[in-house]
Amino acid sequence: MRGQTTHPDTDVLAEFHAGLATGRRGARIAAHLAVCDRCSALRDELAGVSALLAAVPAQAMPDRVAQRLDSALAAEVARRTDSERARGDSPRDRGTAARPAGRRGLRLLSLRVLAPAAAVVLAAAGYGLSQLPHGSGNLASPSSGVAGAAKPASRANIPALTPSSGAAARAEPERMSPASFPFLTSHTNFMPGTLKQQVEAALRMAESARATQAAPAAVIACVRHVAGSANPLMVESARYQGQAATIIVMRTSKGDTALVAGAGCSASHGQPLATTTVP
Amino acid sequence: MRDAGEQWPSDAELLRRHVAGDDQAFGELFRRHRDRLWAVALRTVCDPEEAADALQDAMVSAFRRAADFRGESAVTTWLHRIVVNAALDRLRRRAARPALSAGDEQAFEALAGPAGDPAHTTDVRLDVDTALRILPPQQRAALVVVDMLGFSVADAAVILDISPGTVKSRCARARARLLPHVSHLRGNRSASESVSPAQGGDT
Repeated sequence: MRGQTTHPDTDVLAEFHAGLATGRRGARIAAHLAVCDRCSALRDELAGVSALLAAVPAQAMPDRVAQRLDSALAAEVARRTDSERARGDSPRDRGTAARPAGRRGLRLLSLRVLAPAAAVVLAAAGYGLSQLPHGSGNLASPSSGVAGAAKPASRANIPALTPSSGAAARAEPERMSPASFPFLTSHTNFMPGTLKQQVEAALRMAESARATQAAPAAVIACVRHVAGSANPLMVESARYQGQAATIIVMRTSKGDTALVAGAGCSASHGQPLATTTVP
Repeated sequence: MRDAGEQWPSDAELLRRHVAGDDQAFGELFRRHRDRLWAVALRTVCDPEEAADALQDAMVSAFRRAADFRGESAVTTWLHRIVVNAALDRLRRRAARPALSAGDEQAFEALAGPAGDPAHTTDVRLDVDTALRILPPQQRAALVVVDMLGFSVADAAVILDISPGTVKSRCARARARLLPHVSHLRGNRSASESVSPAQGGDT
């Protein structure tokens, strides 16, 4: 490229340093470097660039980004679970919707992806879904702030929520065990901005964790206050914005509605701190 | 959430578990490498918001394409490849947009955060980050992967999907172009030599 008498330019020296100048060209540059202080100093400086870059510490990922990625990941996990279930579900599953009471919540959860028609079967089979016209009233009455978020918009294509189709199930609640809902404790810190994704992830967790704990009496009292006699899909004892909280997920016609109850939630108090609906 | 420091299931094992349906495995794997992946995304796109977008794109892509991983390279190499691709993709998409403003730089600095570094280390980092912006994206990506993250030329070739010779020439041209912009840092030898390469959370 360059004659012996000319100084190679910085690019050429950098290529030489990276091992790219070989053969006669490489030999010529090497010979020049041996006699030229200016160029050998430049070569050293180029080597120093790599050393400088290697020495710059990488900064840790900011918390804000980490939280965002965690939420995105939770959504991905939920999406995968959903699509796997959609593939795995067969008509036979619908026919056998009546399951032992202990897995009631889990079955309901896994039926999320079925057509509304399947909900009719469930309600008629006495799963307490018919409670929802009442249940949504229960949600609204102690806590008017929740009413807007939790009240199911009446959708004509969900006959399960009409009184007639629910009639068969209305006698059921008395026979339900008082705590027959999946209950978990976790260290999850639910946050307002990511509540929906976190609830979705929590529902997956509740489903994959086949064995759930028995809920403490205080939690049951809180659930009864918030949910009435309807059985939640899932109850999780966790944190909300850093404070102890109970996350109660109910089925409504719009999807699964999560209510966040604070530490003071009891049989007589239970103004939800937040709600979100997972379609 | 578990600590990222534990290495007991290997990366490859975590990826296998993820493909087999384990809901936790991918999160564990990603958390293990996320600081380095963040570094490569941030330094390739030179903008924290775009870096976060790119990293999220990459994470989702890796999550979904995990079954495609055939083990020809290390899992980290594969992850870095996906992140670099996502980052360069972002850069291509915003290519028509004007260069970074001073506001971006402040945002960058705010996001980069002090991280408990000595002041001169932060200065060096910010100066280097600023200097990196003058490079064309392809050269910058090569330099970040080889010189800053310490990948071998062979691994960098996999990550960047180019030949080893091209990795070398891109790095060489990038170093030559960067030299005038960092020589003042390099001249201050105490600054560059007192910085430990192991610093920065990548245990």
